[in-house]
Amino acid sequence: MKKRLYLELENCIGCRSCLAACTQCGGHEERNRNYVYDVNPLVNRQTMPLMCLHCVNPACARSCPAQAIQIHETGAVLSALVEKCIGCQNCTIACPYGIPKFDTEQNLMYKCDLCIDRSKDGIPPMCASVCPTNTLQWLTDEEIEAKQKQFNLDNGKWVTSMPYLEGETNVRVNLPGILQGVTKLF
Amino acid sequence: MQMDNFRNERDQYFKEIDNLNHPNETLVKTHCSYCAMQCGMNLRVKTKTNKIIGVEPRYDWPVTLGKMCPKGVTAYQQVNNKDRLLKPLIRDDQSLKGTTNGFREASWDEAYDLIVKKFTELQENYGKDSLSVYSGVSMTNEKCYLTGKFARVGLQTRYIDYNGRFCMASAAGGLNRSLGIDRGSTIPWTDIQDTDCIFLAGSNTAECHPTMMFRVWAIQERGGYVIVADPRETPVARRADLHLDLRPGTDLALANGIVNLLIQKGHIDEEFIKNHSNGFEDTKELVKQFTPEYTSAITGVAPEKIIRAAEIYGKAPNAIVMFARGIEQQIKGVDNVSGYTNMALVTGKIGRAKSGVATITGQGNGQGGREHGQKADALPGYRKIANPDHVKYISKVWGIEPEEMPKEGVSAFEMFGLMEQKTIRALYLLCSNPAVSAPDQNYVREQLKNLDFMVCVDFFLSESAEFADVVLPTTTWAEDEGTTTNVEGRIIKINQAQMPLGESKPDWQIQVELTERMGRGKYFSHLKTSEDIFNELRVASKGGTADYYGVTWEKIDKQDGVFWPCKDENDPGTPRLFLDKKFNHPDGRAKIFALPYRPSAEEPDEEYPLRLTTGRVVYHYLSGNQTRRIQFLRDMCPEPFVEVHPETAAKYNIDHEELVRLYTRRGETTYQVKITEAIRKDTVFVPYHWGHEKSINLLTIGALDPYSRMPEFKTCAAQIEKLKIKKVQ
Repeated sequence: MKKRLYLELENCIGCRSCLAACTQCGGHEERNRNYVYDVNPLVNRQTMPLMCLHCVNPACARSCPAQAIQIHETGAVLSALVEKCIGCQNCTIACPYGIPKFDTEQNLMYKCDLCIDRSKDGIPPMCASVCPTNTLQWLTDEEIEAKQKQFNLDNGKWVTSMPYLEGETNVRVNLPGILQGVTKLF
Repeated sequence: MQMDNFRNERDQYFKEIDNLNHPNETLVKTHCSYCAMQCGMNLRVKTKTNKIIGVEPRYDWPVTLGKMCPKGVTAYQQVNNKDRLLKPLIRDDQSLKGTTNGFREASWDEAYDLIVKKFTELQENYGKDSLSVYSGVSMTNEKCYLTGKFARVGLQTRYIDYNGRFCMASAAGGLNRSLGIDRGSTIPWTDIQDTDCIFLAGSNTAECHPTMMFRVWAIQERGGYVIVADPRETPVARRADLHLDLRPGTDLALANGIVNLLIQKGHIDEEFIKNHSNGFEDTKELVKQFTPEYTSAITGVAPEKIIRAAEIYGKAPNAIVMFARGIEQQIKGVDNVSGYTNMALVTGKIGRAKSGVATITGQGNGQGGREHGQKADALPGYRKIANPDHVKYISKVWGIEPEEMPKEGVSAFEMFGLMEQKTIRALYLLCSNPAVSAPDQNYVREQLKNLDFMVCVDFFLSESAEFADVVLPTTTWAEDEGTTTNVEGRIIKINQAQMPLGESKPDWQIQVELTERMGRGKYFSHLKTSEDIFNELRVASKGGTADYYGVTWEKIDKQDGVFWPCKDENDPGTPRLFLDKKFNHPDGRAKIFALPYRPSAEEPDEEYPLRLTTGRVVYHYLSGNQTRRIQFLRDMCPEPFVEVHPETAAKYNIDHEELVRLYTRRGETTYQVKITEAIRKDTVFVPYHWGHEKSINLLTIGALDPYSRMPEFKTCAAQIEKLKIKKVQ
């Protein structure tokens, strides 16, 4: 059963456990590959993760002159192949979310691969495994659909996917403000 | 209940997930070394070399389901850390105390010989009680239990106490007084998501106990309510339905104000009050004074918010009141605990699933460690030294005469007073770092220097070890096995993943070997393994309030932990307390306490107009001795800071990231300013995880709660001074 990374931004507490866990994935050379931002640090403690959304038609791969960015059969947009990457950094500019990171010493781009050694076998990526708040979850499409029904926002912009952001993404994102749609018990 | 196939509840979040097994690695199931959430984890161990190399989520642990905070994810990096102490250290030159200088490596034999010689000399010259033991609860029940016996039977001193005085003592005092039993939670954590209202008082839950947050948020997703009482808009307060932004140190007024409204608005459960409690009428009379306006004047919380909080809690079919150090580290910490517990008692929202009261325990074994005799007045099984029957029972288990049992000692902070008076002349310190964690550091460090002889047992050279004459290297949690009792009161198993590094030894082994050399071996030599100690603990706790007799390591494994009390082999344990509405006071009733409000030990004045409060950040644990050595955590939060509201900052003409002098009547230090609207204008906040000149405890006050003897870390009067230096580069 195919599962996807699903983000509920409203849950984030800024613990950056996802980043710590990212360094623990076997294939990640102990470097974290995503971001957590303080949204408005002088005002409140709101934070949000910025994860690779694994675009269906990824700008990073399209921009790569060396075809170093492969797309796995699961839809995961992989990190640059060491033997192909020429270090041009096109991808870091092309990505609308600023996801790919660059290692100047190795002259190599590296990015989130959804912990492909885990997710190819249905094991959740490290970030979604450890996330203490369920900001990051690993769900089936049915579970995501149930979420969509549960949080029925009137603006229709429930997830960041076509036509709201750059293009269709494999990762589903639930925008902040979701609790607006919840009916209180009493 | 059928014991054969009993297993503690798994909730709607439980999923069967395979782990990733890397080739040539073994996964060892265990729990985190840090807080009392005791998150389940698998340690990845290189099979051939027996080295811990990483972490893998433990999806099948029903409380945390693989979730971990950044401390948990990186916890394994303590084990083979370059700072580990691998051999005993001796320092001959006492003038170097308080520094890292002058230590030389020594053999265990030499270190033991020196300790035995010094301890014996001091006891011959100044009496048995010239020695003291200062312990902690970030270690297993086996170690906590043995440390109590080590002090009283091995060293024969009355002076033993532990760092729980800075952590759980007020919760223990309040829960004992109100409910007759101190098990931190009346319900399992798997109930939280299904309640209708959670009232969190003085708990920065998101940063201090992150892995319960998915349950807290789930309450809101179902349409339930989250109410937070905290001087700061913490990450959990930010999304709460209601944030009661009270002045530090005014919790009791807020609790009384809410209880008053619960009574006035008819949210009380008369049947429960009549049949299962005492003290309602007195309390009703006392809280009358705490109208929303009067409560607001003391707490600074708007009257409408107080009214709304009482309305939500009162109307909720099920509700949980939870609190933590914010309300407990005050000179009225015990009263605050009883005050908030009153909310549950007057409404009868206790003694059933999804409703109850809990303190969110700080240290990993903060629960178990306070039950088995490390406390100055306590013996295993939550027995009391003041009770002759209790002394008689434990003496028999230990093989001593009741007359040989030392009397009650004094609390942790009061031990420093006895060091000053030279009543206490030597200290055996383990599992704690009071040179960072105790209040009024200038005073405390002077007393540590004043000791004739000090032993520190640790796996890193902590700030406190800098005052020691002998430092003994112990193991980290992953190099030994044993049990801890988590935030819920669930006894769980810590497993060994790696052999002890270097020459380090587990604390229990050090204590057994030392007592043998002090001629007390006959009481200790039979304890060859950690499980031997657990089995003695079971007998010692039998018949006590915290009864572990029916718990075995095997049962823990089979049932996903065992909730105490667990009285015999056929008892699966007690996940929920008071289901029969029988409380643990002799008459079976809970006590509703009438608690007059009193101000903090040091209220702000003209000279010191700000309230200083302290706490944690998500990246560090307690004194930071462990977490400051881990790269990821250090990168995320390298330095302490002072949080100031922008309007307050404007008054002092200070900017974001500017260095300021922060001072109180006891001390001063310099911090970088972090400007945020998420704090009260009259309050400043500093995290307490750093030592030496960066320690905020140079400024905090050593005023103690009269019952729990817990210092008032959470509020004192302070002042800020603008410095000429603009920024650190």
